[in-house]
Amino acid sequence: MIEARGLTKVFRRADKPPGLAASVRHLVRPRYAEHTAVAGIDLSIGAGEAVAYVGPNGAGKSTTVKMLTGIVHPTAGEIRVCGLDPHRNRHANARNIGVLFGQRTQLWWDLPVRDSLALLRDIYRIPERRYRARLDELEPVLGLAGLLPVLARKLSLGQRMRADLAAALLHDPRVVYLDEPTIGLDVTARDAMRGFLRDLRRTGTTLMITTHDLGDIEEVCDRIVILDAGRIIYDGPVTAIKDRLARDRAVHFTLADACPGVDLSTDLPGSRTVAGEDERRVSVVFDRFVHGAGDVLAAMARHARVVDLSIDEPSIDDVVRRVYAGAIGDALPDRVR
Amino acid sequence: MREAAALARIYLRMLLGYVRAVLEYRTDALILVLASVLTQLAGIVFLTTVFAQVPALGDWQRWEVIWIFAMVVLAEGIGSLCFEGTWHLALYINLGGLDYLMVRPYPVALQVMGSTLGPNGFSNAVLGLALLGVAATRVDVDWGPVTVGWAVLLMLSGVLVKLAISLASNTTAFWLRSPSSSPAGTVHTLGDLARYPITVYSTGVRAVLVVIPLAFVGYFPAASLFGKGTAGTIGAFTPLVAAACIAGAWAYFRAGMRRYDSVGN
Repeated sequence: MIEARGLTKVFRRADKPPGLAASVRHLVRPRYAEHTAVAGIDLSIGAGEAVAYVGPNGAGKSTTVKMLTGIVHPTAGEIRVCGLDPHRNRHANARNIGVLFGQRTQLWWDLPVRDSLALLRDIYRIPERRYRARLDELEPVLGLAGLLPVLARKLSLGQRMRADLAAALLHDPRVVYLDEPTIGLDVTARDAMRGFLRDLRRTGTTLMITTHDLGDIEEVCDRIVILDAGRIIYDGPVTAIKDRLARDRAVHFTLADACPGVDLSTDLPGSRTVAGEDERRVSVVFDRFVHGAGDVLAAMARHARVVDLSIDEPSIDDVVRRVYAGAIGDALPDRVR
Repeated sequence: MREAAALARIYLRMLLGYVRAVLEYRTDALILVLASVLTQLAGIVFLTTVFAQVPALGDWQRWEVIWIFAMVVLAEGIGSLCFEGTWHLALYINLGGLDYLMVRPYPVALQVMGSTLGPNGFSNAVLGLALLGVAATRVDVDWGPVTVGWAVLLMLSGVLVKLAISLASNTTAFWLRSPSSSPAGTVHTLGDLARYPITVYSTGVRAVLVVIPLAFVGYFPAASLFGKGTAGTIGAFTPLVAAACIAGAWAYFRAGMRRYDSVGN
């Protein structure tokens, strides 16, 4: 569905020191600084895949998406989306793809949502009958009925995101790009959005999601591509990277009596015992592939009476944090490019 | 042809969408209508003054001069009424506003041009038409189906030339990256010079009006209609010039889109 080879984008920025004199000098002899936002990316995404595209700010995520969607012309490299060059065959490509930029809306700001959707129906030349059918399909999942008569500028963020999603999906695209689709949403709206994205996947739609939200990745995607400084540093299944990097599990105990100095590292080699906020609380961090939670509980029971406990599962959060910290090079030599 | 009709229909819907949006703010809409009426009145005062002042210029009769003037006013009116969004291009580029427009199956240039509507263009268009109507009875043209058809074609061509100039001058924003469209404003101001026969100007000014083909909005097409020697012969090519200008501006815009870098989040 999406094929990119050697995709590169170099931005040229005026290298202008502050001050009027410098500005005048710049007029006479302009100097430019080159900044490589995306440095030779190879990417191949098949039909029906849901790919999370993550990386720190400025890693080149948005620039990649803008090149894949045909918005920004690449400096070098080849792109094919459904067999088309998205920048050259902009119109044909537009019919295949749906795009949502979470931080901006494509709705007409001063028009009711219904009018915006009708304008998009005209622009995409969707026959009236199919348009109605599509709205009916989207209705139960996006709850559009209540939004249709409302002016776009009067929508709450969550409502706006739903309306924008309807706008992006109106023409039933095969590939959908979502840039920060849950940004700024409250917990309920976020869950609803993720549920909707999972349903969308089930219909065979190819998804590419750039996000900072790790819940989006774990709940919606099966493949994760991690980008740093314009290069892909990991591309593989979400579960695999989680197994390799997110191994630490933590059990938090509340004990019946104060138990200072308790340490399970001899009982459970490799584990760490961390004192909690008071002397009755203690946490044990361990590798989930070496020990089980049951072993930890049994070991603790030998030292103290356990009143209560809770378990923290490793999250993709840790993974990405460790990736950014540079851990991935050692952990995943076979995946590094 | 059917494709062009479809594009035009969608364009009209976008413009009407803007009208509906304006109507959402009732007071704003009322003020706009009021302002438009006032502009009309001011225009009439202005034009009666022009009527009284316009002399014969060289071998141009008074009503022939007014014809040129009216064609330029009409072109500006239609440009403002139907293609006002052209003037917002620099803003779109600098705010990254083209992103969504570029993922829709409709020409980006037309989406920008049709994004808004200049209500005072209405008064200019009406005034221009009215003036042409009056002038038509006073100029020495033997009106028949052919001459009327030719005059309409020349008028449409003039409108297209003006439109192409606006689009091209605003398209410079892709390269200049400043939020105001100053070159476009300069070119637009130059357009005022094109309201009179260019024979009244020095060679330098004339050259400018021919190179930036503003003289093809009113002067040359009028010269063709009134059979004014060499200028009239050149004027007969106005429809071709218009087609070339539109094609050129379109290609320039496409080249600009390749430079569009959007903005970061």
